[in-house]
Amino acid sequence: MRLPRFDYLEPHTLEEALEMRSEAGEKGEVLAGGTDLLVRMKQRLKKPSFLITLKHLRELEGVKMEEGELAIGAKTSLRDVIRSPWVQRYANGLAEALSSVGAYTIQHVRGTIGGNLCQDTRCLYYNQSAFWRSGRAPCHKAGGKICYAREGSDRCRSTNQSDGATALLALDARVTLRSLRGERTIPVSDLFTMKGEAPLDIRSDEILTTIRIPIASQSAASAYERISYRSAIDFPVACAAVLIEAEDKTIRRARIAVGAMGNAPLLMIQAAELLQGKPLEDEGVRKRAARIAMDHASAFAVNNVGATVEWRVSMVEVLVRRALRRACEAARGIGEGP
Amino acid sequence: MSKRIVKFRVNGEEVELAVEPHWTLLEALREELDLTGTKEGCSEGVCGSCTVLVDGAPVRACLTLALEVEGREILTVEGLGGPDGLDPLQRAFIERGAVQCGFCTSGMLMAAKGLLLENPNPSQEDIKRALAGNICRCTGYIKIIEAVEEAASLSPTPIHESR
Repeated sequence: MRLPRFDYLEPHTLEEALEMRSEAGEKGEVLAGGTDLLVRMKQRLKKPSFLITLKHLRELEGVKMEEGELAIGAKTSLRDVIRSPWVQRYANGLAEALSSVGAYTIQHVRGTIGGNLCQDTRCLYYNQSAFWRSGRAPCHKAGGKICYAREGSDRCRSTNQSDGATALLALDARVTLRSLRGERTIPVSDLFTMKGEAPLDIRSDEILTTIRIPIASQSAASAYERISYRSAIDFPVACAAVLIEAEDKTIRRARIAVGAMGNAPLLMIQAAELLQGKPLEDEGVRKRAARIAMDHASAFAVNNVGATVEWRVSMVEVLVRRALRRACEAARGIGEGP
Repeated sequence: MSKRIVKFRVNGEEVELAVEPHWTLLEALREELDLTGTKEGCSEGVCGSCTVLVDGAPVRACLTLALEVEGREILTVEGLGGPDGLDPLQRAFIERGAVQCGFCTSGMLMAAKGLLLENPNPSQEDIKRALAGNICRCTGYIKIIEAVEEAASLSPTPIHESR
């Protein structure tokens, strides 16, 4: 399969890249690892006139500790994020999530954390070859007025299947976006528009530069769980990430994110609040929280990523419960010291 | 949109090519350099048959632009082994019958090579994880895993010295 033609722009500094991005506007795309973008281009889902490569921008690589937070350059490869001792220590859920992305030889060396976070939403009726799609009228995401995933839907119901985004939402991460106009740092939850047609709030002159994960406390732990057809290569059909902050064997704060259900990873606020103040070993409350997460997720999921939607929703409870158990166990271990 | 010059090393030799920006590394290797050992399977990063090593690490040549590997060192299946014969991995694949139709084999070899360069003594679990992105529709994988294990046991030190 051939790529469509484009102009290849090769900035050597971030400033230069921002100028090119500003000039190219809607006609430009940023190329990091390319493991998502180039596939979409081959399928003619994206046809940028300009690709702005980040290959020379070493300044966007690496994991640093900055004022109580992990600052991860958007172009850091999944492999380097996974192997960072800081990420393993303070954001294990993210390391687990990124380890499960695709396969080592596909995404881990060339794929980047920024690309994983910014990947477009997916749908069985959209992520197909141009030939496959030519057989029917375009869907909402392709500029038409039909939804093949849910009959009668007036909007796109494509699904965010990013492992990394789900973990970063649970970890309360923030992202920094730069443009010639300046810089803004927003919670990762604000990066998502909840609109399948255009799922990311990244303006056409902006480049994602940094992903910031707060170090919640010394006794915080996170975990990630997912289900996919094959353990490698495939996207998750359901996934969950949790963060548990503990004090005196009690949950002080919890965050639960569920992915592969809606246009964006979903933050389960009510389920997480239920856990607050409860003992780390309270299995019953974890079950109740997982059930609430499942109920809320059921409002978003449609049948468009393989496996029946009923089964995927029922798996949310299982995945949240497993992730909570592992995170609570890990938080207990940290609390007890070495 | 015209051709641009890109320089990189392939199997130890300096290469200078005029490529279109939209050409992938796979197209440059197969169509410009006639290195057809690297196969095009799915062309969208799923099957692994186009795996080559870039600076020793396995990547999908079908999802890598030729222009993105400027200045890098590429190793393809043609560069495995050397004047003295086959790479231990290749020998083990033959001896163990890890090849049937052969289409996935060069990708399997390169993914396995990437693993052994990084970890000369992998466990079976390590091998499975390293090859998880490579699909074989014939062998059932067992013989491939056995072959990689055998190659690893034969050569505890890094196998390949680039020419």
